[in-house]
Amino acid sequence: MTKDRSEILQGTLDLMVLQTLDAMGPLHGYGIARRIEQISEEVLRLNQGTIYASLVRLLQEGWVSGAWGVSENNRKAKFYSITRRGRKQLSAETENWERIAGVMGRVLQLTERR
Amino acid sequence: MFGWLRVAASRIRGWFTIRRLDEDFQQELDSHLALLTEENLRRGLVPEQARRAARLRLGGLTQLRETHRELQGLPWLETLIQDVRYALRTLRKNLGFTTVAVLTLALGIGANTAIFSVVEGVMLAPLPFSQPDRLMAIWESHPNAPHVWISYPNFRDWQRNARSFQQMVAFAWQGSGLTSPGTPEHVEGMFISAGFFNTLGVRPALGREFSPQEDQHGGAPVVMISHRLWRNRFAGSREALGKLMTLDGMGCTLVGVLPPGFDFEGVADVYRPLGQGDPLLLNNRAIHPGILAVARLNPGVSVSQAQEEMSTIQKNLDQLYPDADRDLGTDVVPLKQEIVGNVGRTLLLVLGAVGLVLLIACANFAGLLLARSAARTREFAVRLALGASRSRVVRQLLTESVLFSLGGGGLGLLVAMWGVKPVLAALPGNLPRSENIGVNFPVLLFTLGVSIAVGLLFGLAPALRSSKAELELSLKEGNRSSTRAHHRAQSGLVIVQMALTVVLLVGAGLLFRTIRHLWDVNPGFDPRHVITLKVGLSPQLTRTASGTRVACQQLIECIRRIPGVEAADFTNVVPLSRDDNDSPFWIGAHQATYSQAAPRLNLFWTGPNYLQTMKIPLLHGRLLTLEDTTNSPPVILVDTAFADTYFRGRDPVGETVTIAYWGTVQIIGVVGHVRHWGLGDVSQMPKSEPVYASFYQLADQWVPAFYGELTVMVRTPLPATTVMPAIRKVVYGTGKDQPVYNVRTMEEIIAQSLSPQRFPMILLGVFAGLALLLASIGIYGVISYSVAQRAREIGIRMALGADKREVFRIVIGQGLRLTLGGLVIGVAAALILTRLVTSWSSLVYGIGTTDPLTFIAVSLVLTGVAGLACYIPARRATKVDPMVALRYE
Repeated sequence: MTKDRSEILQGTLDLMVLQTLDAMGPLHGYGIARRIEQISEEVLRLNQGTIYASLVRLLQEGWVSGAWGVSENNRKAKFYSITRRGRKQLSAETENWERIAGVMGRVLQLTERR
Repeated sequence: MFGWLRVAASRIRGWFTIRRLDEDFQQELDSHLALLTEENLRRGLVPEQARRAARLRLGGLTQLRETHRELQGLPWLETLIQDVRYALRTLRKNLGFTTVAVLTLALGIGANTAIFSVVEGVMLAPLPFSQPDRLMAIWESHPNAPHVWISYPNFRDWQRNARSFQQMVAFAWQGSGLTSPGTPEHVEGMFISAGFFNTLGVRPALGREFSPQEDQHGGAPVVMISHRLWRNRFAGSREALGKLMTLDGMGCTLVGVLPPGFDFEGVADVYRPLGQGDPLLLNNRAIHPGILAVARLNPGVSVSQAQEEMSTIQKNLDQLYPDADRDLGTDVVPLKQEIVGNVGRTLLLVLGAVGLVLLIACANFAGLLLARSAARTREFAVRLALGASRSRVVRQLLTESVLFSLGGGGLGLLVAMWGVKPVLAALPGNLPRSENIGVNFPVLLFTLGVSIAVGLLFGLAPALRSSKAELELSLKEGNRSSTRAHHRAQSGLVIVQMALTVVLLVGAGLLFRTIRHLWDVNPGFDPRHVITLKVGLSPQLTRTASGTRVACQQLIECIRRIPGVEAADFTNVVPLSRDDNDSPFWIGAHQATYSQAAPRLNLFWTGPNYLQTMKIPLLHGRLLTLEDTTNSPPVILVDTAFADTYFRGRDPVGETVTIAYWGTVQIIGVVGHVRHWGLGDVSQMPKSEPVYASFYQLADQWVPAFYGELTVMVRTPLPATTVMPAIRKVVYGTGKDQPVYNVRTMEEIIAQSLSPQRFPMILLGVFAGLALLLASIGIYGVISYSVAQRAREIGIRMALGADKREVFRIVIGQGLRLTLGGLVIGVAAALILTRLVTSWSSLVYGIGTTDPLTFIAVSLVLTGVAGLACYIPARRATKVDPMVALRYE
């Protein structure tokens, strides 16, 4: 049970990272984490390190690619960008997510009405 | 779809580059921290706080690195390597233990690898022909003999009529005297029909095979030779094709050379067209001159369908030619089965026996692991207490035991690689396809599989046992209950070992007794001091029948005159050699209506002094003399078995019998029976009994067919090495181009006839010895261990006044109880197995499979050896100093 939930969470984070990269173009880990927090209006306070586990998974799947560059504070940093395969995956996952969200919404409303 | 593959590839890449990835990640985290810190500074935090908050936002650095690493690489491989490293370290620390365990397994696995490599090479590997499983051998069969050589006219009819086969060919073994080019030599050879090699799917390395025009009487004299002979006689020259070779005095044109290593059921050097054989033998449907058919099944035709068709064809022939063929059937046998023959059953038996040895070795191994894990209980308890999971500890232990078994397997592989060939060469009997035996890929796979299986299976029980989390119990010193459980398990293992050893000892013991018994059987002649040899008579001397007779007589005269030679003469059939010269006959007017219904005798064409040479006693009447020739009335000697079977108490001397292809002959004497069909032959099939006739009475037209089969028997007290040079000299004296070959002593021939028993006996004996050694090591280990464990108890006993003798008795008694338990189970198992395993029990002769002497001897040997193995620890127990033992606690 716990494993399933963490898998869903992982998947969610992966999806958020992909979406962020798709929308923003190349970003380093800090940038991605910051962006996700901003968009969620600081509701989602990440343990920012978890971003990296997500990035490794996405790299291994070939959905993002990474390249070394220089950050705003003149430090060496790795910049990630979404790949073509990643975009395809993103649209599929988005669709999937919306469907699930829709179903979940309806199911949850059902229970509320009781 | 291939996502997992991409991930796997990236992980494998990651595993190799993990160090660089770690550094990269560190840099990434550093810059992330720096950015976070700057953000915090912008928010107005003091630098110290800013750094702290940044670290909190990012999360635990060590944990992040760990996770990152696990995701990047192959964590299980890493644990495995860790386990292996740790295991190697512990194994090196306990060098003595490691050596014993690895050697034990090396013995067991090595013996199994060796035997498996033989089974693989002989039985499993496909024949080296194209689609070999479609190749069949076809025999004729008779209600009294499952396999009869086929007659050539029958073969031709099969060949014409059978639709189940793409091709059908035939062959017969027959050597030739090769006189040019090169030195005169007897070479092994085959007569083959046209298309023989095409049927096997073998192409000549040079030239061609025989055409149907060549494969008939009067065809051009042609020959094909082996690659070996081509290299030796023609220096491997392509110009050799078309050259003449002189075989049995006839010039034959070389038309083809076979590929190197070609081997069909034995090595032949010359191949000649079967159809050019002696027409006297080939054209008579009632004669079965050592021919066997080989055929390739048509696609889609099964063996049983082919068998059905062949039966129908032969049934028609039986009706068309009742005189010759009535009662004959056919037997279609896969060629591999035909070539491997009965050896297959023996090999499987040996494989079973060597499997038992492996089980015994494994029991030792498990016992060793148990003893060791008992000693390490505290180590595991500590690990478990520190939070290692049970599965982690089990995995660690299994890694250790698999390392042991792989070490043993590797060593065993070496044993098999270097040991198999010399051992096979030393063993009696010729194994078919033995050139095929070696350590190849399937053998490697077998060894690897067995090693890993042994390591896992026999490591698992001790591992599970020692990883049991009885924490507080084990952490306390000297926990009794778990050591007692260990001890019970070890004792069980020893009992199993003893029982298995008993089974092997009984198996080997009964075969040993059988052979002792067979050596004592009187074969009917005196086999000591007899040398047998063949001579390829010079073609100049054998142009005519009378010339051949003179040449034979002169040859014998010359040999007889050699100093030290007591007697000498020849025979066309050597006793116990598995050859025969089987012929239908009838007595007086009782002529059978057809040839297959007639009784058969085994006609020895001999020189008149053959019986004296062999010391076969004349019981009644007279012997053959040089006066019995083609010009005098034909006469034979019969033996007592023949007289008992066909004359039942009447005096056969003076009676006449009619022998097919010869005529009516008079019996002039009765001689002692010779056990031609084997010293221990107990088969119920009627066998043709020996009768003896003079070669000098053989009709002219048959002489060419028989003189090549003559073997000279020389009785001399001198060893073969001393007398053979003199014999060679006189043979070359009567004709320069006469090779002397097949030199064997009669005792060697008898030993050869016992090889079906001797081969498994020697191997079973060796394995039983190994088993005994392993089992005694096993019981020694258990008793020593228990003495060490019981040192306190023994000390108390001695302190309370028990004397050394009593202590000694207690320890020895413990060992003997285990032995006795094993003995009872083993004897019961042996009694059941000797009944069930018919491939083994069919070898036992002259004693019952429950032979009490064998069982008693086995019990005594086992008890004695076990007693000896327990003696050392028992002695040690008596030397326990009560004070030391008590203080030690």
